[in-house]
Amino acid sequence: MNSQRHLRVVGDAAAPAASPTAPAEGALSRSAVIGQLLVRVGRGDESAFDELYTATAASVFGVALRVVRDRAIAEEVAQDVLVEVWRRAARYRPEAGSGRTWILTMAHRRAIDRVRSEQAHTDRLRAHGSTITGSHDEPDTVVDMAHREWEVRRVREGLALLTERQREALDLAFAKGFTHREVAASLGIPLGTAKARIRDGLIKLRDAWEEER
Amino acid sequence: MNDTIDDPHSLLGPYVVGAVDEVDRQLFENHLRGCTECREECARMSDAVATLVDAEAVAPPATLRAAVMGRAAQTAQLPPTVVGDAGSHGPRKRRRWPLVGAAAAAVIAVTGIGAVLATADDAPDASALEREVMMVSSAPDAHTMELSLGSSHLVMSERMGGVALMGLDAPAPAEGMEYQLWLVLDDGQMMAGPTFMPDADGKFMAMMHTDFKDVTEFEITEEPRGGSAVPTGEMVAAVSL
Repeated sequence: MNSQRHLRVVGDAAAPAASPTAPAEGALSRSAVIGQLLVRVGRGDESAFDELYTATAASVFGVALRVVRDRAIAEEVAQDVLVEVWRRAARYRPEAGSGRTWILTMAHRRAIDRVRSEQAHTDRLRAHGSTITGSHDEPDTVVDMAHREWEVRRVREGLALLTERQREALDLAFAKGFTHREVAASLGIPLGTAKARIRDGLIKLRDAWEEER
Repeated sequence: MNDTIDDPHSLLGPYVVGAVDEVDRQLFENHLRGCTECREECARMSDAVATLVDAEAVAPPATLRAAVMGRAAQTAQLPPTVVGDAGSHGPRKRRRWPLVGAAAAAVIAVTGIGAVLATADDAPDASALEREVMMVSSAPDAHTMELSLGSSHLVMSERMGGVALMGLDAPAPAEGMEYQLWLVLDDGQMMAGPTFMPDADGKFMAMMHTDFKDVTEFEITEEPRGGSAVPTGEMVAAVSL
């Protein structure tokens, strides 16, 4: 009987700094700060968690609001995500990516899970034609920080590099939580094309934002 | 374009931006384990997605901080090592056939050779199933094997004490039939597993808690809806250990 195989051993989260293989962040200082806070939170440091909240709550809430489009639900999602960050912090592995990415992609994914659980796929597909508006809603209050403005501008510039089709596909996925199959269906394009538009769009953004460092 | 539906690499973009359903997510995460290139690319693209997220920042309601801090204060933190998960399983020996869950229809509990059959017509909680599948396929000892039923995988984990099946583009079984998983023991005995039914897109997911002592092979057969106590239908796929 040889079915038991330990393919790899998962190490502890230990190193406080980003690993050398992880790409440096554009907002380097913020990203590094978040990573260090996360490691401290993993050791049960409550004051670090308070600081981590300050550093990330607006982004976590903002993306939840963007995806679920309801402030009360967005608050629930943000609450769940941030508590989950506290709960799982010790399992964050700096060598696998930045702490900022760990938290924010978790927030995005949770928001999508929530919107999917609230709406049947077919409902969203049906409603899509009438509900899609511009690519960005006006946020109520953008957090007042200089680097945020810089980042929003940087994001806008990055998005401007995308073709309209790439932007459209990426927006359906990112902001509406469509799966690539739903993106393909709603745009009337083959599945492979939908996947490629999403991927190519992300590659352009990745290149644009990594180059600035 | 060399993208095909079956090529896991092509799921990279959709995966990073969350545009995958649970089955695709699991398929891609299994792929990620063995593909350094995709892992690195995934990390870089995820940074881009995080930047998109950051750009959405909106001042949260003032009540959020207190709510988060209050709940955190009452929430135990997970220990640093992944899996084994918070001592919920421990080293204890699993019962042989504690629970069987299937995506679409029946839940079958089998005890020993005498095979007691119990079915539940209501679909079990799909998200509970997804969680179970995720537990198995994200275990550090998860072992993935290809399954010749559309584009499918079987993942087993000794640590999690379970085997998960997930797939895409599986052909529909004959009218009135479902697929059923079997564990073949070294003495030739066939232990009944869950039945499952691909959806319209050929997607399916199924999960069975078991240990793997004496198991030599997994087989999938077509069985009448509700499943059988012993295999009666044609074998459609098999994986040897």
